[in-house]
Amino acid sequence: MTLRVSRRNFMAGGATLLSLSAFGSGAFAQDKRLRLLWWGSQPRADRTNKVSELYKAKNPGTSITGEFLGWGDYWPRLATQVAGKNAPDVIQMDYRYIVEYAHRGALAPLDSYMPSKLNLSDFDKAQIEGGSVDGHLYGVSLGANSAATMLNTTAFEEAGIDLPSKTTTWEEFGRMAAELTKAGKRKGLFGMADGSGGEPLFENYLRQRGKALYTADAKVGFGVEEASEWFDMWNKFRESGACVPPDIQALDKNDIETNTLTLGKSAAGFAHSNQFVAYQQMNKDKLTLANHMRVTKDSKGGHYRKPSMFFSVSSQSKVVDQAVDYVNFFVTNPEAALALGVERGIPESAAMREVVAAKLDAVGKVPLEYVSGLGDLAGKLPPPPPAGAGEGELTLRNISEQVGFGQLTAADGAKQLVDELTRILARG
Amino acid sequence: MNNAMRTMSAEAATVERYRGAVADSRFKRLWNANAPGYLFLLPWLLGFFGLTLGPALMSLYLSFTDFDMLRSPGWVGAANYVRIATADPKFASAMSVTLTYVMLAVPFKLAFALMVALALNRGIQGLPIYRAIFYLPSLLGASVAIAVLWRQLFAGDGLVNAALAQFGIQGPSWISHPNYSIYTLVALSVWQFGSPMIIFLAGLRQIPQDMYEAASLDGASKFRQFYKITLPLLTPVIFFNAVVQTIDAFKAFTPAFIISGGTGGPINSTLFYTLYLYQEAFGNFRMGYASALAWILVIIIAIFTAFSFLSSRYWVHYDD
Repeated sequence: MTLRVSRRNFMAGGATLLSLSAFGSGAFAQDKRLRLLWWGSQPRADRTNKVSELYKAKNPGTSITGEFLGWGDYWPRLATQVAGKNAPDVIQMDYRYIVEYAHRGALAPLDSYMPSKLNLSDFDKAQIEGGSVDGHLYGVSLGANSAATMLNTTAFEEAGIDLPSKTTTWEEFGRMAAELTKAGKRKGLFGMADGSGGEPLFENYLRQRGKALYTADAKVGFGVEEASEWFDMWNKFRESGACVPPDIQALDKNDIETNTLTLGKSAAGFAHSNQFVAYQQMNKDKLTLANHMRVTKDSKGGHYRKPSMFFSVSSQSKVVDQAVDYVNFFVTNPEAALALGVERGIPESAAMREVVAAKLDAVGKVPLEYVSGLGDLAGKLPPPPPAGAGEGELTLRNISEQVGFGQLTAADGAKQLVDELTRILARG
Repeated sequence: MNNAMRTMSAEAATVERYRGAVADSRFKRLWNANAPGYLFLLPWLLGFFGLTLGPALMSLYLSFTDFDMLRSPGWVGAANYVRIATADPKFASAMSVTLTYVMLAVPFKLAFALMVALALNRGIQGLPIYRAIFYLPSLLGASVAIAVLWRQLFAGDGLVNAALAQFGIQGPSWISHPNYSIYTLVALSVWQFGSPMIIFLAGLRQIPQDMYEAASLDGASKFRQFYKITLPLLTPVIFFNAVVQTIDAFKAFTPAFIISGGTGGPINSTLFYTLYLYQEAFGNFRMGYASALAWILVIIIAIFTAFSFLSSRYWVHYDD
């Protein structure tokens, strides 16, 4: 009996001590603790964690906890954390969402930290503006990229078809892709992915025709006519076998792993240049990048250099200074730049670009050369997508599928697309 | 006068105090008697009020606001409900997908579960092993891994089509064709028949064997015995399973989320109600609207359940 009591006392005492010490260490570390959150795959996490290690080595006493998720899971998690007043200090932000988060007061404006604490002096001006909302800087661009056509050069070679050039039109490429499908060198391999539901590709097509996806005042930037011709073009590709059938395209969950190019169902796919390294890692064949096809031989290019992603600082953060310092380190420290490479896009700082370019391997050089070689194909950065753009992306995909499966004609699909986008934007 | 009043009030005070003491002691006695019970219930009570009732009431409040998760909610009255009723084609499409799923998955699942239960009830050797094996899919059922497996099985070049190819049939890509995708989800649900099967099995064990003996002495066929004895005596269990499974089916989320990658595609063919709710809440920052959607679902499930209970008196037979 006595033994039991004393043991219980001992246990209780031990537990109290334990909890006290946990409390103590928590309180101690509080002022130097940084939390990061980003989306991406394991290679990106390795690179990011390496930068955190470098930063910790230079700033003893700082602890950094980083978390990462896939794109689809990332936004629910972030929204929940922000709503729960538990937002991470440093947030990876996308061009699509920066306006929504900035307008709702979730991000800290960074202007007051420039240039002493946040030195973006050798950044591409347009890219800095990309992270600005209503005249304030809310996101520091982590790299530039551009929408791109990914090509499986091995598959093109096997079929004896030349790769498209910078001036290849959609019509020509459709014929080339159909030929590749007919060559039948590999079972179930089609010329290209069905890109009719891909928003960046559609936007490129619209820009070549002098239109836009969304206007600066949050209106639909194109008409039924353009959309109708777009759907019509893809109908013809489907008929000629140039692109994959709709039920194969529907497997694409809008990520690298399920793209028809990665699945070996198509020799060409549509993605962003900074994803090239990951695409190449998942593919045994040799890949390369090309610009999107032209609407006509003499049409202007529809590309633009886009901030691939930003680092923003939470307005709820208790350590904003520290967070800004970390972001500054991330984009201006040569060692950090070397660790990051071009995985998040081409570094925006001219100095860092030089540091990285000198050490890049052959695979890393492809996106660098692609983005810097766009020339007059690249135009002005469009205004950030308005609220509701995320829903708009799903709508385009949905309607393109209805056209693909033959439930809607191209003309009806186009009309429905414009109607629904208008309704979504009106709701905001 | 003054004195008398003072006496009276003093008396009243005494009475009051006395009553208070009685109430006190009654409360104390009750407390002393029940305290251990409440203490043991405490985790559940905390869970119920903190994790179920609290959030539920919160979501009821939010359903009348324009809460976007980042700013504080603003009252909008019944606007969310008005939009659901009048201006949301996706609501209708999600509802029809979900109803199709409920109408197909629940009866098929119950029929299948009953069949297996009947087979297992025959007293085969190693029954516990079979029970465990058949129950396994239900345990794994709601998990992401199984949905991913299903994706592989029913893809265009998956195992199902490989099997069909043996018979010279070129199958479509089941999960990514809008005409078939919902049926693969129904099949997935039917495959998870374990938990109603276990309950059926328990129900079958309750039926007195002498009834069958008497029936077979009277010359009733096996088929007739099933219709006249097994089914009627099993109706309470069927009723229970039907209600539970219907509620479950309305709430189905994971398979559709994984198989369509969260889009509900192709062409909204797997846009389950809960998936649409999730998209609105976390994809489009409309937590207020999603809360209203959630309460509509609560009402619909309540109506279905009430209907089951009301109809039960015409077809459920209790053994009395």
